[in-house]
Amino acid sequence: MKSHYNFAFFDEGSKREIRRATLKAIAIPGYQVPFASREMPIARGWGTGGLQLTLSLIGKEDVLKVIDQGSDESVNAVNIKKLVSHTAGIRSTEETEEATIIQSRHRIPEVPLKSGQILVLQVPMPEPLRVYEPSELETKKLHAEKEYSGAWVMLFEHIMKYGTAATGADHPVMVHNRYVMAPSPIPRFDNPKMDHSKALILLGAGREKKIYAVPPYTRVKSIDFDDSPFRVESFEDKSCRLCGSTGVFMDEIVDDQSGEAVYQCNDTSYCLAQMNKNMPVGGTSNEQV
Amino acid sequence: MKLDLVHDIQTAYRKVIDSMSRPGTVSDISDEASKVAVQTDRFPSTAILALMFLDTEVTFKVFSRREEEVTKWINGWTYAKAVEADEADFLFVLADADEVKMKTAIDAAKAGTLMNPHESAVLIMETDELNAGTELVLTGPGIQEKQLISVPNASAWMNKREEKNSEYPLGVDFIFTDAEGYVLCLPRTTQVREKVMM
Repeated sequence: MKSHYNFAFFDEGSKREIRRATLKAIAIPGYQVPFASREMPIARGWGTGGLQLTLSLIGKEDVLKVIDQGSDESVNAVNIKKLVSHTAGIRSTEETEEATIIQSRHRIPEVPLKSGQILVLQVPMPEPLRVYEPSELETKKLHAEKEYSGAWVMLFEHIMKYGTAATGADHPVMVHNRYVMAPSPIPRFDNPKMDHSKALILLGAGREKKIYAVPPYTRVKSIDFDDSPFRVESFEDKSCRLCGSTGVFMDEIVDDQSGEAVYQCNDTSYCLAQMNKNMPVGGTSNEQV
Repeated sequence: MKLDLVHDIQTAYRKVIDSMSRPGTVSDISDEASKVAVQTDRFPSTAILALMFLDTEVTFKVFSRREEEVTKWINGWTYAKAVEADEADFLFVLADADEVKMKTAIDAAKAGTLMNPHESAVLIMETDELNAGTELVLTGPGIQEKQLISVPNASAWMNKREEKNSEYPLGVDFIFTDAEGYVLCLPRTTQVREKVMM
């Protein structure tokens, strides 16, 4: 299509600025590098940080996958995909293996990432210490001094109140034994995937104007206590009602009528691939869906 | 062919990102570099990096016997401002700079502050040929176990670099370029040791 925009929407000056910040972010794993955060045609808080990173990276040969809470087809994912492919003329995909750039909100795909892929995560709240320290100047000081006792006190309070870490999503991680970092609101289930990841992970917060990164093969440890170790959400004895998978992150769906809870894969493209695998050759049976 | 400032810079950038996130990985930007029409003997790959990262928002300093000429070229193409070494965001240490100049550059480079470690310099160093010379062993983030590289005349900068990067997260990040269009990166997190012969 004939586009009246620059390639990948941005002017080259904006790309340069984001690229400079990205370079520093990779050099200082887990440290939040401020950047200018441009006005985008989608609202701040809707993935503009991730989008800006994607646009600064993308080239004609790239294949893009965008997911929102595990789904390739949610409004947010579809809009971002459309914007990038209309302005850069690139192909998008739903298959994790095929993508060169994966922009995601709230999940790391079930299919393990490969070397050469870049995972771009959208971040609403990049500052893990913000919960107990409202001042940016103060949190910058805390990071400078590696003063993270507050993060552990927060975790301690959870354990005292609820008997376990009640962080749900966005459980803070320690990167390269230096910076405490918000992994973006991915479930605890996905935190271990960041540790020594084969792919480069870039995180962008558009509203808060921060870019940070986890290079491949970098130590990422979810913060915990020796006597109360970090635990991921357990889906033991649960399986997906659609594809039958076990050991993946699942959504709980409660039937309004019967009050019964059923489970299904959160990662829709993974679920679909499993279902296709289960189909007999020739695809005669589609009764199970 | 003429250098495409959008697409050639983008492909080169992705290779630099790859090298920076996997220290020791040598990337080939010779395709892009071959399209740069440079009059001087400055490596075209160095020029690509200047075009990739420099504009009016940042500053630079050139260490070379032909400092004036190269400074003029970079300023003319990128509009970045030339400043003293201790203020510069990007330091270019060209192939014709001697060891003393190289050490001066590393010494003077901004290392950032504890609150703002990103306000530090990137050193772009020209070497004759990557994949030759001193054998080095790299460890750190981005490296699975260890990475072996060869860089000519590493003794000239190794100790200075270690000194400069001794107080992580303060430090400077290195990008090496060579005449063939290869690029190699050493972010501040990378530990560099000379390979011990068994």
